[in-house]
Amino acid sequence: MSDSLLHADFRVDLGAFGLEFAQEMGQETVVIFGPSGSGKSVALRAIAGLLRPSAGRIEIAGRPVFDAAAGLDVPPHQRDAAWVPQDLGLFPHLSVLENVLFGMAGDSVTRRSRAHDLLALTGIEALADRRPRTISGGQAQRVALARAIARERPLLLLDEPFSALDEVIRDSLRGELRRLCRELGRGAVFVTHDLREAYLLADRLVVLVDGHILQTGRPDEPFLHPADRRVAALMGFRNLFRGEVVALGADSVEVQVGAHRWRSAVEPARFRVGEAVDVGVRAERVAMRRNVPEELGPNMLRATLVQDDGYGLNHLLRFRPEVPGPEIEVDLPARPYRVLGVTEGASWTLELAPGDVHLMPVVAD
Amino acid sequence: MSALQAVDWSVFRISLQVAVLATLLCVGVGTPLAWWIARSRPVVSGVLSSLALVPLVLPPVSVGYYLLYLFGRQSGFGDFLIDDLGLRIVFSWYGAGIAAAVVALPLYVRTAQAGFEQISPSLLDVAATMTAPRTRFLRVVLPLAWPSLAAATLIALARSVGEFGATVVVAGSIPGSTRTVPAAIYDAVQGGDHALANALALVTAAGGLVILVALTALLRRARRP
Repeated sequence: MSDSLLHADFRVDLGAFGLEFAQEMGQETVVIFGPSGSGKSVALRAIAGLLRPSAGRIEIAGRPVFDAAAGLDVPPHQRDAAWVPQDLGLFPHLSVLENVLFGMAGDSVTRRSRAHDLLALTGIEALADRRPRTISGGQAQRVALARAIARERPLLLLDEPFSALDEVIRDSLRGELRRLCRELGRGAVFVTHDLREAYLLADRLVVLVDGHILQTGRPDEPFLHPADRRVAALMGFRNLFRGEVVALGADSVEVQVGAHRWRSAVEPARFRVGEAVDVGVRAERVAMRRNVPEELGPNMLRATLVQDDGYGLNHLLRFRPEVPGPEIEVDLPARPYRVLGVTEGASWTLELAPGDVHLMPVVAD
Repeated sequence: MSALQAVDWSVFRISLQVAVLATLLCVGVGTPLAWWIARSRPVVSGVLSSLALVPLVLPPVSVGYYLLYLFGRQSGFGDFLIDDLGLRIVFSWYGAGIAAAVVALPLYVRTAQAGFEQISPSLLDVAATMTAPRTRFLRVVLPLAWPSLAAATLIALARSVGEFGATVVVAGSIPGSTRTVPAAIYDAVQGGDHALANALALVTAAGGLVILVALTALLRRARRP
């Protein structure tokens, strides 16, 4: 692939922890998402050249920079990537301008003029002569971005750079990062453990857990169609049950969960009758009805509200079904909560739309 | 006044020569060593760090004795220095400098190492992704560690001025050639000339104090942003 910015397929062994990482990317923003300790930063450090993989091969912008078999390991500063660590790593003894100039190539006049352009582009020109410790977290972040961009490398490696900032600043910086990457034609690998951030920034999302890539695809893919229950749990599926496939329809699969029998709108060819599956239903997607119909339709169940936890503007409700089966959680915004009069009675009918009943193959934990 | 008139002022010159040489050696050898220790894996760093402290545990006299052996005719290395390179280190002022350097080195290395270890690893990593190791050391490591390096240099200098045991064993106490202030004080005490011993100690303390105060002030001034 001529426009490939990164081709990585490597393994890192760090004592008890091992990371397997394989990705191919072009000029896009790839977000590596995973919980703490999943190996996100390790992957980024290996690409940057700060950590030596035990096996595999890495190419950046078409140039091999690491090849275990050939004994190739290009030093970090000669790789076509700019790396920003979680704590930004601004040099405290240098001014903002000197930080941006550090590592820039070219003669002094060109470098200075380009550095000033970049400071203007990132909105921090007024801070040029300030030391990093005298500026705010958001400003420091812009300096780190400007410094990374100043390196004129096609690939940016960003390790949770927004983690220390409050949500308002994060939001504006995310927008800015997308704009800069687009305008300057850079690719970026962005590491985060923040689901919202991952979703908002990613052209492509890589879900990394315990050193293994569990799923990769468009950001809504893992959200709506997680590959397995580990991804589902990470993506905020609060209802995760073990079930069994009991019937295959023309365009759906019937699954037994406890005493419930639910229809799931999934491709039947992927499953067989008798197979154990994990069943995931997002708490935001469960419908609640006050009036209990005489005859329950498919995917409906009667349940009693047993727990009501308000958080912010939402309520997390926990229901116990009347027939044996797992309890079900419903996430309800404040307004429908009030309109439905949730506090006025505990007896409800819940409905799970077939499109929201997600089936996943069972994986060993 | 009579005691001051009896002072052989060459001892101060020789002491200064010895201390400056020792300090230069400490900076030259100790800086890379401290950097190496600070950047090694914990096990390696622990071993190296302990080894670097050995001269501090040994009585200076025995440090001097081993150096005498190393640089003298008893060892092959000494033979090589004397016969092949024409370097006679034993009973020379630079022999005293080397001896003082060995004694002061642990103090220099420990202080410098602490300075290097204070630098955030992510700064070093960022610098590594931007520039070659040499530039990284000169433009990031040294500027960030220099207050510790300066303090380490001061300590090494102060320690070398006062060094007696190791220097006297390696270089002896030849008037006008290797007799340093501590050696002169020792000789005065041995000879029962307490007035001379006091005068030498007082002048050394006063001179040392002036130099240390001036250097510390200079450091403090330079450290201010």
